[in-house]
Amino acid sequence: MIIKYSVVVSPSLKANQRQVTTTMPESTKMKKPDVKIVILGDMNVGKTSLLHRYTERKFKDTISTVGGAFFLKQWGPYNISIWDTAGREQFHGLGSMYCRGAAAVILTYDVTNWQSLAELEDRFLSLTDTASTDCIFAIVGNKADLTDPHAQAATSGGGQADAELGGVQTQPLPACPTPPASPLLNKQVSKEDAMALYGRVLRYKGLEEKTSPPAEKMCFETSAKTGYNVDMLFETLFDMVLPSILKKRREGENSTVDLEESRGSKRTKAGCCA
Amino acid sequence: MERGNQENGIREEVKTDEPSSLKCTDQTVSKELTRTISSENHINSEDDDALVDENGMKASQERPLEPQTKDSTADNHLETEAPSDGRKEEETVDLPALSSVDSAGAHSLSISEDTTDSIHDDSGEFVVTMLARAKLEEQGMGVKGTSSPLLETGTAVGNPAHQDEDVTTERWRQHRKHVFVLSEAGKPIYSRYGSEEALSSTMGVMMALVSFVQSGDNIIRSVYSDEHTVVFMQRGPLVLVSVSSSRQSEQQLRTELLYVYNQIVSMLTQASIARIFEHKKNYDLRRLLAGSEKILDGLLNLVDSDPSFLLSAVHCLPLASSLRDSLSQILQKAITPNLVFSILIAKNQLLTIVQEKMVIDDARLDPSDLHLLLNLIGASSAFQAGEIWTPICLPNFNPDCYFYAYISYLDPPECTVCLLLLSTDKEAFYAVAECKRKIEEAMQSQNSLTAIAKAQSYSVSQVGVSDLRHFMYKPFDVPDNYRQLTQFTSPEMEAPYCSEEEKMRLLDLYRDMHSRIHSSSRPLKLIYHVAERETLLAWVTSKFELYTCFSPLVTKASAINAITKLLRWIKKEEDRLFIRYPPKYSTTPNPSKSSRGGKGGADHTDSTDNGVLPLL
Ligand SMILES: Nc1nc2c(ncn2[C@@H]2O[C@H](COP(=O)(O)OP(=O)(O)O)[C@@H](O)[C@H]2O)c(=O)[nH]1
Ligand SMILES: [Mg+2]
Repeated sequence: MIIKYSVVVSPSLKANQRQVTTTMPESTKMKKPDVKIVILGDMNVGKTSLLHRYTERKFKDTISTVGGAFFLKQWGPYNISIWDTAGREQFHGLGSMYCRGAAAVILTYDVTNWQSLAELEDRFLSLTDTASTDCIFAIVGNKADLTDPHAQAATSGGGQADAELGGVQTQPLPACPTPPASPLLNKQVSKEDAMALYGRVLRYKGLEEKTSPPAEKMCFETSAKTGYNVDMLFETLFDMVLPSILKKRREGENSTVDLEESRGSKRTKAGCCA
Repeated sequence: MERGNQENGIREEVKTDEPSSLKCTDQTVSKELTRTISSENHINSEDDDALVDENGMKASQERPLEPQTKDSTADNHLETEAPSDGRKEEETVDLPALSSVDSAGAHSLSISEDTTDSIHDDSGEFVVTMLARAKLEEQGMGVKGTSSPLLETGTAVGNPAHQDEDVTTERWRQHRKHVFVLSEAGKPIYSRYGSEEALSSTMGVMMALVSFVQSGDNIIRSVYSDEHTVVFMQRGPLVLVSVSSSRQSEQQLRTELLYVYNQIVSMLTQASIARIFEHKKNYDLRRLLAGSEKILDGLLNLVDSDPSFLLSAVHCLPLASSLRDSLSQILQKAITPNLVFSILIAKNQLLTIVQEKMVIDDARLDPSDLHLLLNLIGASSAFQAGEIWTPICLPNFNPDCYFYAYISYLDPPECTVCLLLLSTDKEAFYAVAECKRKIEEAMQSQNSLTAIAKAQSYSVSQVGVSDLRHFMYKPFDVPDNYRQLTQFTSPEMEAPYCSEEEKMRLLDLYRDMHSRIHSSSRPLKLIYHVAERETLLAWVTSKFELYTCFSPLVTKASAINAITKLLRWIKKEEDRLFIRYPPKYSTTPNPSKSSRGGKGGADHTDSTDNGVLPLL
């Protein structure tokens, strides 16, 4: 596939590139992200809401994600980049770019929607081919608040008092003292299903089950709405990618090799339709 | 095509009617304008009360704005057009038996076609029946759907408010303008109000109508009833329908539908839409557009409220030319290979745009593509901390290929100044993000953000003409800036146009003037419209298009005088109001690779190939 867009580099282009690189003052270089995490999954499973809950401590009606959105999160002394994606990646072929060199991939589904789990395997797993070879996988069932009473109270992720929800609940409703918790929906995906998928992901990636993190640790049920398990998810992953950060820092000390720097810079993609 | 013809027609008329003296020098303007007004009266006096009589009409009598069609009475009116024949020859088939005032049953048909085959008289009657059914459907969209829609809307979890709207209610029916998108197979793709599922039977009827007329080798174009105009548009495998009570012209509604179509293309490309439906005729395109409804909703809201869409021109933020130049230079310096457009936006208006040299030679950025981009930015702004990298197709540039857009705000947390960088290389995110870093740094050192923050739209009072309340001025291409982006300038809407309703009312007046100026049957160059609450004057010349709104007390003579002053003021301020000389840079040494479609054929659209099949 890629071959189709690659174009033989013309001498003038090389010259051009070299010039650009050499005139770029070192001081303007961005803080290089130490590590990359990608959130994948079908549209509407709540990827953006999860990230929003984690970074902004809020749940609000997010606006649909276009393409991919890149975030830098400061984690102690490290810069962690997180790509939030739209869920249409394999359609326009940018998925591999978002995933390139990723140290962790969050495969997200909606616990009330069996299809969203199936899509992970059918459509999204193959996008991770460009991820780092020691990439860590998390399987995340979001919207747990819709199916599990215990997920309706927040355990993390900015506490229970999220502004919007709190506002709704404190509205004076004399006739009805406490609004009843929304009726539970049918849970279509059990945690066991997710763990089974985790096993298949490892097999697909050719990873040993024994040396990989266990399924119990890597399968999460979350609610971006209440914050349930959200901090846990991100912080567990951040801790787990620390070794890759250190490794990368060591390797990257003086060399310019950078996983993020696309290989495309050597083989220039010329033109949107070339 | 039809539209092109129209425009030629208008321009031609302008050319022949107007002596070369129509340069905007002060003395000639008023003379010219006076002359045009009086000759206009003469030229169009036959039956146009809207034009002539209004001039002398009592100011107290506010005329309802009427669609330009002659028979906008109770009759329903269907126009069809033969597809192969670009020229539109109208032939009105009146059905006398039905043309009573009884609006439910009254229809008149005008079918244009190349042959006067009598078959179509039969089909005509059938279409009337279909139409009556469509009308019924339209009134009782709920009636047919009652059983399922309620249930279906009930189960739609997490949909935004209007998607949940009950399509059986009066409120749903009362929306000023409905827009539907469906596939040729009649599958719902998008509805502006209410969920698509709940409307599937309605969409089915629309599709039946479209395909029935098609089977007679005609294309259904529009249906008029006393309250609604229904406009159909087919583009490839998609059918778009607008049901409007806004009294806009068919042409305007059609242009709006084209925006909707192009926004869909901007997300998927035309080639892949075609390919998807080739593979599977009844594919549910919502699978690919899920989550994009808000982008289309946002577009339709903008179309209703932002005159840029009406004028097909870009509104740029007034800025001292020295500041605009310095911003352009900052953008010009921050480049990377395959970067083709650098665009700076503040408060949803253009600050500056820099284009790749080869690209600008090859094609200029169409204003409507820029509108689609601005809408996309607006729709994605909820989560403003991040940097966005997304494939985006510019349908007027090349409907079959993607650009890759980098979108980032430069002034978090306010997020009013937005940088948009377009590359042809999908892998270029980090390189392009680096350009942003440079731009940010340069802007910081020049304190540009503070200067930009001070920039704002202007008040009409700055023009210094007492009776002038508002205007929109759109200069046309002139030879020395031929590749210029089409722009217009307009002051803030101020009292009495402060409330949303009043703003909309003024826009509606402008829309009506616009549709009459651009009427295909009888284009006008000048309209002087006296209404109860204001007086409007619209004027189109070979150099510009101008819409002005005066207080109702203005006299014709003082209006002419005011326009003279206004044109003089614009001339004086033009460096501030417009981007005069769009700057360029060079990043793509091999332009033929990055340019417009058509050259390379199908294999050039392969970037969309990945994964299309697995989706089907
Ligand atoms: N009940 C509930 N709704 C959620 C949750 N997370 C997201 N949503 C809703 O699901 C919809 C899609 O969320 P979004 O974050 O845009 O999904 P994305 O397409 O995966 O990014 C939105 O209407 C959210 O409000 C959750 O944990 N619980
Ligand atoms: Mg999202």
